[in-house]
Amino acid sequence: MTDFPLAGTRFDATAPLNFDSFGCNTYKVDSLPTPDRLEPDVRFVRGVRFGLELPTPDGKTIEVWRFEDELAPRPVWPSPPIRVRQGQLVHTQIYARNNAHTIHHHGIEPTTFNDGVGHVSFEVSDTYDYQWRPHTPGTFFYHCHKNTVLHFEMGMYGLLIVDPPSGPGTIYEGGPSYQVEAMWVADDLDPRWRTLGHSAGMCGEDVGLNRFDPKYFCISGVFAPNTLNDPRVMVRAQRGQTVLIRLLNASYSILRTTLPMDAQVVALDGHYLGGPEKPWCAPYTIRANTPFEMVSAQRMDLLIRPRLPGVFTAKLEFLDWVTRAIQNGGQGVAQTQIVVT
Amino acid sequence: MNRREFLAYGALGGGASVILGAAEAQTATRTYELFIEPADVEMIDGTIVYMLLFFGGPPGVREPRPVLRAVEGETVVLRIVNNAPEAHRFQVPGVTGATTTNIAPGQRREIRFTAPVGGTYIYLDPLQAPLYRLVGLHGAFIVTPRNGLTLAGSPTPYSATSQTAAVRAVFDAMGTMPRFAGDKWNPNDIARDKVWVFSQTDPALNKRVELRQSVDLATLAANFKPRYFTINGRSGFDLDEDPTVRISGYVGQPTLIRTINTGLATHAPHIHGNHCFELAGNTTAGAVSVRSNVYERDVWMLAPLDRKDLLLPFEIPPDIPREAWPPVQEPWPLRYVMHCHTEMSQTAGGGNYPQGALCHWELLGPQRPVA
Ligand SMILES: [Cu+2]
Ligand SMILES: [Cu+2]
Repeated sequence: MTDFPLAGTRFDATAPLNFDSFGCNTYKVDSLPTPDRLEPDVRFVRGVRFGLELPTPDGKTIEVWRFEDELAPRPVWPSPPIRVRQGQLVHTQIYARNNAHTIHHHGIEPTTFNDGVGHVSFEVSDTYDYQWRPHTPGTFFYHCHKNTVLHFEMGMYGLLIVDPPSGPGTIYEGGPSYQVEAMWVADDLDPRWRTLGHSAGMCGEDVGLNRFDPKYFCISGVFAPNTLNDPRVMVRAQRGQTVLIRLLNASYSILRTTLPMDAQVVALDGHYLGGPEKPWCAPYTIRANTPFEMVSAQRMDLLIRPRLPGVFTAKLEFLDWVTRAIQNGGQGVAQTQIVVT
Repeated sequence: MNRREFLAYGALGGGASVILGAAEAQTATRTYELFIEPADVEMIDGTIVYMLLFFGGPPGVREPRPVLRAVEGETVVLRIVNNAPEAHRFQVPGVTGATTTNIAPGQRREIRFTAPVGGTYIYLDPLQAPLYRLVGLHGAFIVTPRNGLTLAGSPTPYSATSQTAAVRAVFDAMGTMPRFAGDKWNPNDIARDKVWVFSQTDPALNKRVELRQSVDLATLAANFKPRYFTINGRSGFDLDEDPTVRISGYVGQPTLIRTINTGLATHAPHIHGNHCFELAGNTTAGAVSVRSNVYERDVWMLAPLDRKDLLLPFEIPPDIPREAWPPVQEPWPLRYVMHCHTEMSQTAGGGNYPQGALCHWELLGPQRPVA
């Protein structure tokens, strides 16, 4: 369309994708207006920050990269959640700040320009407004999709939660309700990868990004073994309450989770199970102490309904993607507690 | 014997070009020839890797890793020739009779078996498992149901006798529910039936086989350090234009994606643009397992030797604001990636993101043009 400034970009149809622009020399824009732009109901601003050094349980530090909420700056990791309601028109504005990045809203399905994948659209050197309108409530996340192998591992992600129009408290409008909400984001970190630059490997160098040997294991930014007693991870509930656990595997391991009580799976990958529009699926139950596995980027929404008071331990084990051995010589485990009163 | 094929990147074709309709099921037998041969295969970064591959297809056809197809109940005749310097075997795990004993170098073998119930299968060399399958001896075997219709008449890739209520509901929803306005799944259109065989290659392992050095199977997994991650033998930019892998279509053209992992690493295929219905997997014994609870996933687990069938509904990407549909300012086609989210698989030769196990599907327009 002539009213949109695509002439001279790679989208004027005269510059097909080639080997170079596919990877090493991905198309970049400083800034670009959002095509087919509408007025947003809600807006988020995320700026890329490198260099946050987190203390580790062994007395060292490890660097993470992240998106900062530029409307309420705080040096937190993982990046602050994006929480919206089903049907809201959302703009997520990226400020790249350091070189070029993108935001991909994982599980959200907008147009290509708003999907944040560099080689089929563009990487952003300055700023862009990603436009999307979530059609279904659920658990999602957002992350950088440039040199993703590295940028996602370095920590450039945050949760993305879509509530039903009436807000938190139900899985979907008219669906199961919950009174307590927990968010468990599993991650694993390899110190060697911290020695690499943001574009490492992209133009042909062997930087060993096929090899991943994580040494630290986290739930929601808390390092194991501190996960066991940290209030950011622990769940506290009263008998008779229903607890929603939003579980995301943001690691590169196979995540094997064992819960100490029965859990009802009510959503997978941001899509709830059951309901009149979905005759092909229904919620199902995972029995207590029965391990279940998730690969990278999968989400599960689990409802637990504790009946007895006590302190119950949940276990998350990180398995190597080839050997299925527990990572780091058996140390790749994070536990936490569900305290029922 | 021992002639060495050279496969430059871009040269790996593959994918039988026909889908077998039920009308052809009257044919009592279906014959394929397979040649087990060494090949020097060029990886996406120019590295040459020694592989052992199945070449062949229907008599007279010579494709690497041919997709073998049959209709449920047919007699499949396989003529297998071993042109490699060591003994090999053939097997379709989970299928009775689809197996050989050792075939010595230079020897040929003919086997016959009955095509099993409709679904997605793997063929491979089970000898010194997983060694020879990792070095390249694997492929896909696709069985079309004799009667794949639901009670309501919607085509599916599964026999009426193995369909579940959940899978019937998915295929009946296509072209019926407003969300899936458009066509039913079309079993006779090869563009709507894709086979994606994921694998991983560690050149050091292949080198040992080329040099005929022994490989300790007990430590193989611990020593397996894959450097190339492929779909149907290719990766990254080479997959972008590969018509056997890339999916093109209009809104309302649901497409079956048969995903297979012949490697040793567990993949996490993740698709953008639409969630997919996970229709079927496999039992540990190798049988097709049609799901009785069909989940809509944007990531599915694909462990070694897993076969999972997904249906990409080709619905309007649901988080595009409806006031902005169809896009006017944004250029068509809309292009979406499918990539493994265990992102080490997105590399080639230790870097080169995204030249690994990544491909695309594209939406050509809001509806199929009237023919
Ligand atoms: Cu980035
Ligand atoms: Cu993602």
